Amino acid sequence: MKVLIEFFGLDPGQFNEVGLSLATKDLSYAWILTLFVVPLALWFFWVSFKRIHSPFHKILLISLRALTFFLLIFILLQPELEFKKSHILKNRIVVLVDDTKSMSIKTFPSEQSRADFVRQAFETNQGVLESLANIFQLDYYLISDQIEPTFSLSSGGHYSPKKTNTDFEAVFSKLKTRYDGKSLQGIMLFSDGGDLAMLPGTISSGLLTLLTSLEGPVHSFQAGTNHMFKDLAIEEIDSADFGFIHQPVRLTVAIGASNMGNRNIPLVLKDGDTILLSRVVEIREERNRYSVQLEFTPNVLGKHVYSLTVPLFAGESVAINNRKDFQVKVIRDRIRVLHLNGRPSWDSRFLREVLANHPKVDLLSFFILRTLDDDVGSPTSELSLIPFPTNLLFNDYLNSFDLIVFQNFSYKPFIDKGYLTNIKNFVERGGAFVMIGGELSFQGGGYAQTDIEEILPVHLEDKPQPFVDESFDIQLERNPSRHPILQLEKESGANSRVWEKLPELNGINLGLKPRKNANILASFVKGRDKYPVLVTGRVGKGRSLVVATDSLWNWNFRQVGEGGSGRHYHRFWNNLISWLIDEPETRLLKIETHKERYEEGEEVLLRVSVFQLNYNPYVGAKVRLTIKTRSGDMKLATLKTNENGEASHRFIPTEEGFYTIKAEMKTGKRKLEGKTEFSVFSETAEFQKPRVNETLLRRIAEVSGGNYEVLTKKTDFSKANFKNPKIEIKTSSKYVSLWDNWWVYALILSFLSLDWFARRKSGLS
Amino acid sequence: MTNLFKLIISLLFFKVGIATAYADYSNLFIPQIKYEGGNSIPHPTAIDSLLGQIERRTSIETNRGLAQIALSHPNLYQYPFIYMAGSKEFEVFSANELQRLRNYLSYGGFLLIDDNSSNTNSKFDISVRKMIEGLFPQVPLKKISRDHSIFRSFYLINRVSGRKQVNSYLEGINIKGRTVLIYSANDLGGAWARDKLGQWAHDIIGGGSRQRQLAIRLGVNITMYALTLDYKKDMVHLPIILERLKRHQLP
Repeated sequence: MKVLIEFFGLDPGQFNEVGLSLATKDLSYAWILTLFVVPLALWFFWVSFKRIHSPFHKILLISLRALTFFLLIFILLQPELEFKKSHILKNRIVVLVDDTKSMSIKTFPSEQSRADFVRQAFETNQGVLESLANIFQLDYYLISDQIEPTFSLSSGGHYSPKKTNTDFEAVFSKLKTRYDGKSLQGIMLFSDGGDLAMLPGTISSGLLTLLTSLEGPVHSFQAGTNHMFKDLAIEEIDSADFGFIHQPVRLTVAIGASNMGNRNIPLVLKDGDTILLSRVVEIREERNRYSVQLEFTPNVLGKHVYSLTVPLFAGESVAINNRKDFQVKVIRDRIRVLHLNGRPSWDSRFLREVLANHPKVDLLSFFILRTLDDDVGSPTSELSLIPFPTNLLFNDYLNSFDLIVFQNFSYKPFIDKGYLTNIKNFVERGGAFVMIGGELSFQGGGYAQTDIEEILPVHLEDKPQPFVDESFDIQLERNPSRHPILQLEKESGANSRVWEKLPELNGINLGLKPRKNANILASFVKGRDKYPVLVTGRVGKGRSLVVATDSLWNWNFRQVGEGGSGRHYHRFWNNLISWLIDEPETRLLKIETHKERYEEGEEVLLRVSVFQLNYNPYVGAKVRLTIKTRSGDMKLATLKTNENGEASHRFIPTEEGFYTIKAEMKTGKRKLEGKTEFSVFSETAEFQKPRVNETLLRRIAEVSGGNYEVLTKKTDFSKANFKNPKIEIKTSSKYVSLWDNWWVYALILSFLSLDWFARRKSGLS
Repeated sequence: MTNLFKLIISLLFFKVGIATAYADYSNLFIPQIKYEGGNSIPHPTAIDSLLGQIERRTSIETNRGLAQIALSHPNLYQYPFIYMAGSKEFEVFSANELQRLRNYLSYGGFLLIDDNSSNTNSKFDISVRKMIEGLFPQVPLKKISRDHSIFRSFYLINRVSGRKQVNSYLEGINIKGRTVLIYSANDLGGAWARDKLGQWAHDIIGGGSRQRQLAIRLGVNITMYALTLDYKKDMVHLPIILERLKRHQLP
């Protein structure tokens, strides 16, 4: 070999192999020459040598010509020598070690953690692994839903499981990409099989496809067992992220139970400290998984963190999975409005049109079409009138409404006075109430000294004639432009002009004295007298409003007659409804975070905005922030608002979970409150399904042609077999042509010259 | 002397002129359209009488009286319900008047047209149809179906009536789901009108007092519809109304 390399003038140190190859790609001409042309020509030559009597000469000539043909075919095939340097590659084996939190769960009775089994197995099999490393390239990875290269655990590789999600499909997908074309001859998988994405007893089709596409087997080594594993867990909660107020929210809860015996356990749903419902679940020894349907009805808008708990029993392996929190944002799907009209009028007709056409309003209207004094002149059966369902409205279904409108409505004799107390309670608990003027409203409706007067933002004074037909222009109170009800145009100047151009009103209720905490938005000013027309108030958690006229429809139909449009009337009522039902944008104290979910250790930014009753910024307001977590309530900070009524605060939550930040401030006797909620995640999902998934590990091994084994002290890695095909790699090569040389052509010429000479000697021309 | 007596009586019964309607602004008042040609007040007491019936039978408070208003009058939009009566051919409305009436109806107004001629295809009828064609060229007059709120807004009615039953139906125009115009060919005003002594001004043709009562009930229902729209179609009312309609063969 060395001589040959040197013969061709090459460096023997650069090459360790030589090979012969043909440069020509098309061999058909060579075959035709060799099989047909050359034998035919040689036969023809042999026949033509009849005149030569000497056998020696005959054989010599035929040999010379045969040699010449051989050289021609040699040139045609273009042979060349390949001098090359090549190496034998090691095949690869990947060692995957589960790095998720579930590996810290203990196995009984040894009380070794699953990770300890893995460590022990690596120490015991250190020699086997070293032997394998001599034959194969061993690559170690810590896995979760990611793959992270590491060193061998038996030779100092750090192993402290802490990741939050096991996902085999993601792991094998990443491996396949990484080892594409790299001769991966097998995988050793060390895990408890706790893949959170897999349903119990199943394997996903995606994982199956990945496993079957692997070149080598996956030998799965199960860390830990379910033997004597005792645990009760809320494994999964299936619920929508949002729900509608006063509408049932449905949950499906998956409960896992291992070695819990036969017992009945309570499953409790709480909103903060308030128990919403409790359900008894019958745990039976032969079953590991239970599905429970729950339903509850949220009655307060906003984000809520609910918690589901099952009791913690002695000897349970994992305590953290006995409680699971989830968040539901309670929103308003529809605004349910009860609209009571004392008599049909143009004011009620145009308001009904607004309410009926409001895309979010579910309207229930009642008009008092006849009074006891009216003579309808026909039997009841010929009337379309229905009895007024007072008990249903003001007792059974009262709390399902968001807003109650009394429009020129006298409660006598239709509503028992006791129901007025129900309405008061409804408002104090967060409902909304508006009284619209007319002869039958306020004092005219007999509301003085009733529970309705208590929720109105005005006192009802004694007046001999509480309603007068008088035309007047409405006058807004000073600096009202920020109040959401009065925002008929976005731009402040345009808004003022709209209010100035609204048509006059006719008819006003007198004797309404605003309460101390009421907010007067607009009045009728006559000389020195001032009569409130639009007054807002807050009652408990609810809101109430007074419209002391029955002619607001002037802002619609009459405005059209004066060349305008009714859109400002519609906007006014839409604003009014939004304010009454306490839409978030109408709140005086707002608190928000810049995100809803934070990573553990991430800074949270809180922003607070405070407004006065007339919605001007509240400068210098002291807002107290309280933080509420699983651990309890804690004062967070006291903020002072700037000239825009705003303040902010940053902090880093100390623990994972759901947080409620409550903002409170006092203004006079009134207390403003706001709250926001967010979550900090250091996921504990691994503990929601803490059982070892033996079925999954077994299936992974079966599908890929590997072995399944439970890790013990005696586990021997050498039982895991891998193929080791020879893989060569060329690092350098050089080609030397054997036909493109002077001596080949010189030989042809020599053979032909000899042939000529021999023929002459034999007497041929 | 007779004339003086008539004047006193008329002052007792009628508040004449549009200005009178300004008082008691909250109460219902129905002016009549004043137009050129023909006879725009064939029954001067009809609306007053109807308002009296409404006041007596329902919770609606009214301002009684006769007032005429031209479509070009600036106060037109103070009255979302107007009445147009006639028995003869009238002059075509100007483009400006049509535009004003179109806007009035489109933005919330209501018009009741009453043919008082008691004849099929009367000249008033021809004029009205021509006017409506110009008013809403794209929306033709259509028969009002029996399940319309007009027939259940106060009384349960299944028969269209008037002083003379020329048509067994009402016609109307709907804009955005609301009936903005109702046309009766049955001389409703004739059935409602009273004389100066408070007696019925006209005999009923082809029927008796029952027919007059039905005409009054129809007037009450039309007014109630103008004020409450489709309120009676709210789900809470339907079961009782349908049950009553099923049980009784109502006139």
